[in-house]
Amino acid sequence: MSPAKDALVLLLAGGVGSRLNILVKRRAKPAVPFGGIYRIIDFSLSNVMNSGLARVGVLTQYKPLSLMDHLGSGEAWDLAGRSRGVKILPPRTGESDSDWYHGTADAVRRNIDYLYDNPANEVVVLSGDHIYQMDFDAMIEYHRSKKADITVGMMVVDKSEIHQFGAGIIDNHNRIVDWEEKPKEPRTNLASMGIYVFEYDYLLDALRRDKNAVDFGMHILPHGIANDNVFAYPFYGYWRDVGTIQSYWQANMDVIRPDSGIWPQKWEIHTNIEAEGMIADRAPAFFRSGSTVRSSLVSAGSVISGTVLNSVIAPGVVVEEGAVVKDSILFTDCVVKKNAVVDLCILDKRVTVGAGSVVGEGNGYNVANIVEPSHLYSGITLIGKGARLPDNMTVGRNCVIDSRVYESQFVSKTLGDGESLLLENS
Amino acid sequence: MLRPTTLALILAGGRVDELNVLTYYRPKSAVPFGGFGRVIDFALSNLMNSGIEQVGILSQYRSYSLINHIGTGAAWDMLGRYRHISILPPYLGSEKNDWYKGSADAIFKNLDYVEYHRPEEIFILSGDHIYRMDYQEMLDYHRHKDADLTIAFLRVPRDKAHRFGVAALNDEDGERGGRVEQYWEKPEEPESDWASLTVLCFKPEVLYTALRENQSSSSFEFGADIIPMLVRQNYRVYGYKFSGYWGYTKTVEEYWQSNMDLLGDAPKINLEEWGFRTNLDHRRIRDFQPLMTGEATSISNSLVYNGCIIEGEVKNSIIFPGVHVKKGATVENSVIFFNNKIHEGCRFNKVVADVNSSYGTNVVIGSESGSAAGNVTVMGWNNHVPRQTRIEEGATIYPNLTESRWPSIVTGGEVLR
Repeated sequence: MSPAKDALVLLLAGGVGSRLNILVKRRAKPAVPFGGIYRIIDFSLSNVMNSGLARVGVLTQYKPLSLMDHLGSGEAWDLAGRSRGVKILPPRTGESDSDWYHGTADAVRRNIDYLYDNPANEVVVLSGDHIYQMDFDAMIEYHRSKKADITVGMMVVDKSEIHQFGAGIIDNHNRIVDWEEKPKEPRTNLASMGIYVFEYDYLLDALRRDKNAVDFGMHILPHGIANDNVFAYPFYGYWRDVGTIQSYWQANMDVIRPDSGIWPQKWEIHTNIEAEGMIADRAPAFFRSGSTVRSSLVSAGSVISGTVLNSVIAPGVVVEEGAVVKDSILFTDCVVKKNAVVDLCILDKRVTVGAGSVVGEGNGYNVANIVEPSHLYSGITLIGKGARLPDNMTVGRNCVIDSRVYESQFVSKTLGDGESLLLENS
Repeated sequence: MLRPTTLALILAGGRVDELNVLTYYRPKSAVPFGGFGRVIDFALSNLMNSGIEQVGILSQYRSYSLINHIGTGAAWDMLGRYRHISILPPYLGSEKNDWYKGSADAIFKNLDYVEYHRPEEIFILSGDHIYRMDYQEMLDYHRHKDADLTIAFLRVPRDKAHRFGVAALNDEDGERGGRVEQYWEKPEEPESDWASLTVLCFKPEVLYTALRENQSSSSFEFGADIIPMLVRQNYRVYGYKFSGYWGYTKTVEEYWQSNMDLLGDAPKINLEEWGFRTNLDHRRIRDFQPLMTGEATSISNSLVYNGCIIEGEVKNSIIFPGVHVKKGATVENSVIFFNNKIHEGCRFNKVVADVNSSYGTNVVIGSESGSAAGNVTVMGWNNHVPRQTRIEEGATIYPNLTESRWPSIVTGGEVLR
């Protein structure tokens, strides 16, 4: 048998991730920046690399340009070479129906020729939008020792959260004997992480058996559990699906606190430093006289003259004199001008906050966003890519300002709690 | 024109008796600078930004650090059909089997490499200097004058000029340049304040002839031999006048000062504006996460790169990747190279600390006044400094000291080996 590292990896990177609101307006969720210099997909790709796996197909469909730019040749994850490679697998027009993917299994089925071209003993199917560290090599060895057809990465979560996941009931040998997809009343606290190891032949058979089986969690797994050998691979450690603004913000804040269990550098997470706006051409961060920086993550190329507290700062961010950035996440090349305040915000790339402005003002943390109350309700305000806020502007809590809104497009100097400023046709 | 016609050769590898313990294990060009790069990155970035993309590097002293640093050349975009960086070490041959006997000899021994590229102009640069120059402008002047050799000069204070090659220039082209009428290498009593930056642009045939002629001599240097010879023989030798920043860092004090020129309200060296590029694969600094700061961190007028954890106080300093300054430690007026661990209660003032060392709790180095007026204290690499050790200002600490070598006090100016 070939070594485990010959396994083929399929990385599902097509999710819309719509709950991330304007952060996914022009990029797929896996391409959303994270932790200052990373993108969400860096965690999955680095896990693949650090597990010694070398053949990866990345299934994209939604706004893939930013993702493709970031993947480049795959060299950043050592995935460029004679027998190594990253292949981007975009959707292709099929014979009938809508050509968009109908689910995870459907996406893989539509790329079945990639599977034919890359025979392996096992296929590892991953999601590209989780923050975690995991050794897939060990998981494949486990899969082999169990003689499993499918092995599912699973972890214990709080029962109150289980409704978001596929939940498995296992026997004493970790064999999955029953399955519930997103159960309202859970019988277990063991959740699927969306990480699967399939026997190559088994996966091909499962995909060919029933074209209506479009989702791994809803169709392929229940069928396998009823008829074949499906095992749970227990995972203990930090794992987050950063699919909501709240969980995304929290996971970023976790990076600042080493005791949270996430530590990208120790996990050997790699990113593509050549991609646009990344660290290749950035000088060290410059802290000018009089600056204050506490409990924060600050990337190269930043120039800090004001105050940064409990925040994540990407490359090239400028915080001018007297400005305060607190409990916030700033993407590359944002500028916070003199005496401005940014409090509990996420600023996408190249946002400018005018002098004296306050973004994230007042105590209306509970006033949910009016347009998308399920996206923003805990107080976080979002500013879209390239927006330019005028001087002396006041923006409340749970607000959204669209990308590329310029100074002249602000009709008022105030945006109240829960309000949005969205451009038409954008 | 697709095939490039300019070739650059960087003199990077002589063992210069400069910079003390910082050059015991690496050539001066590979000494760290700017919080994440190396001195040679200035010459390489200048070449990249000037569009000169065929480069040979002559190196013979402890080349490993340099080879490691250059990598494939891709960091400076010098990897491609007509773009390359080659490291040219000394070699054994059927006739030639010697070390390089000087800068001119180094290039003479690699004339096959040079001629193979059929250049129309050959730049010869030192890899030891900190400056930004558009070599293309100098090349324009060289072509305009149809010069055999063009040398870049900068005005320095007359009392410092004896340390450099010095020329008498006429004012043929005003601020732009003039003919070199006389040239003196490190003259005791300089008659001019135009100092050579060791940036030379040759007409190839003139260089080849001069190098071959020089082989019958007993000294093989551009400054001492080749340039005076060409001036004497009445070749068309021109001076290109440069007026920007130039850091030559011959002493540790000057090296420290050049580092401080990165700081302040209007830094004299602005790395991003200069288009400074380094190889982030070297020491794998591309894989460092952003700087982490703690609840009691204080950083002021300092440069700090990714991969550091600063929990203590950092003031007027340059901090390279992988440095950990623990809570209650203070680092000021200092340059701290890669991967140093500075424990609780340490106090550093005006220290240049080489890589991979750990400093036990309450180690105090340099003047306790907090003033930057005194002498630099230099720490060699790979040391474990025992806790409570006092190292007074101006001391020099050798690399790789064994535990038993450490006294509790190293007095001012002492050399601990």
